[in-house]
Amino acid sequence: MSSCLHERNYNRRLPGRPTVKILIIDDSTAMRMIVRKTLRLAGFEGHEFVEAEDGAKGLAAITAAAPDLVLSDWNMPNMTGIELLEKLNQTGVKVPFGFVTTEVTPDMRQRAAAAGAHFVVAKPFTPESFRDALGAFIR
Amino acid sequence: MNTALQSSATTPKAPALPGFEKVRRFWSPHAARWAAKILPGEFFVTAHDEVITTILGSCISACIRDPARGIGGMNHFMLPEDQTVGRNAWLEGAGSLATRYGSFAMESLVNELMKLGAERSRLEVKLFGGGRILATMSDVGAKNIEFVHRYLRLEGFRIAAEDLGADCPRHVEYFPRSGVVMLKRLKALSVRDIADQETRYRRRLLAPAPPEDVELFA
Repeated sequence: MSSCLHERNYNRRLPGRPTVKILIIDDSTAMRMIVRKTLRLAGFEGHEFVEAEDGAKGLAAITAAAPDLVLSDWNMPNMTGIELLEKLNQTGVKVPFGFVTTEVTPDMRQRAAAAGAHFVVAKPFTPESFRDALGAFIR
Repeated sequence: MNTALQSSATTPKAPALPGFEKVRRFWSPHAARWAAKILPGEFFVTAHDEVITTILGSCISACIRDPARGIGGMNHFMLPEDQTVGRNAWLEGAGSLATRYGSFAMESLVNELMKLGAERSRLEVKLFGGGRILATMSDVGAKNIEFVHRYLRLEGFRIAAEDLGADCPRHVEYFPRSGVVMLKRLKALSVRDIADQETRYRRRLLAPAPPEDVELFA
């Protein structure tokens, strides 16, 4: 699998696009539903949502669906969110990536920033949390 | 093991897992184990043979364990009142404060168990609380029960046992190693203190979210 293909797909400038494809990765069905609904409440209407239930399936979804933005949980079976981001870095796949996570420790923040995450949103978030975090990526 | 011979002197207190150091733990002579007492809004997980205890009014405690690993934990939560969406209808209210908070309380416990090595598909859930303890309060307990049932159904967890609703507070002792629960329905005498404690907890839930819930990296 060529990583160049991914870079070409993901380097598009997002704010100019009318519709953004957002991949939500979380092992909780309820939480994926809540994230999607809260994004709508935050005013991010009319975008396309794709879902995956762990890091490994998220990786497959990034390849298959070429999302414009990834919102990932941290603690998940099979592959954690940070393992997924580090895997993307190793394979040269560039996609804007943020965490939406239950637990946020200073070590996690540091590791997320070092891996190139754009933001960390702590649960239980609010629509305002999403507006603050995603405003730079989505209109 | 002869539990009569066990005491705090002969049974060392296992160190609490990181993040759970503040939960109060004491020697329970009748359980012959160290006990962790959780308050509204707290949760506790353990990989040791100890007991987790709490007192519930309209709040819910989910007792969750992986029987194959002998690890488990208990939370203690209620849904904040959500004036933005009215009744906490599940799908319509999926972005509501109540649903976000309740899901967070459940996921926090499940995540900690999985970090200890629990397998999600093996998790066994027991539910307690959701009582209607004061006639003057709206039936917060019923809303909490409705939430937790819908949440667990959606997540595909099986409920092994439950004692929910009714008009009494409950004292719960949970033994995660065996899955045994010792439940006592309390008399109305104790209602006022429990209701006051839950009201204070509820007010905390309505406070604005701390500003550090979002961190943007340069």
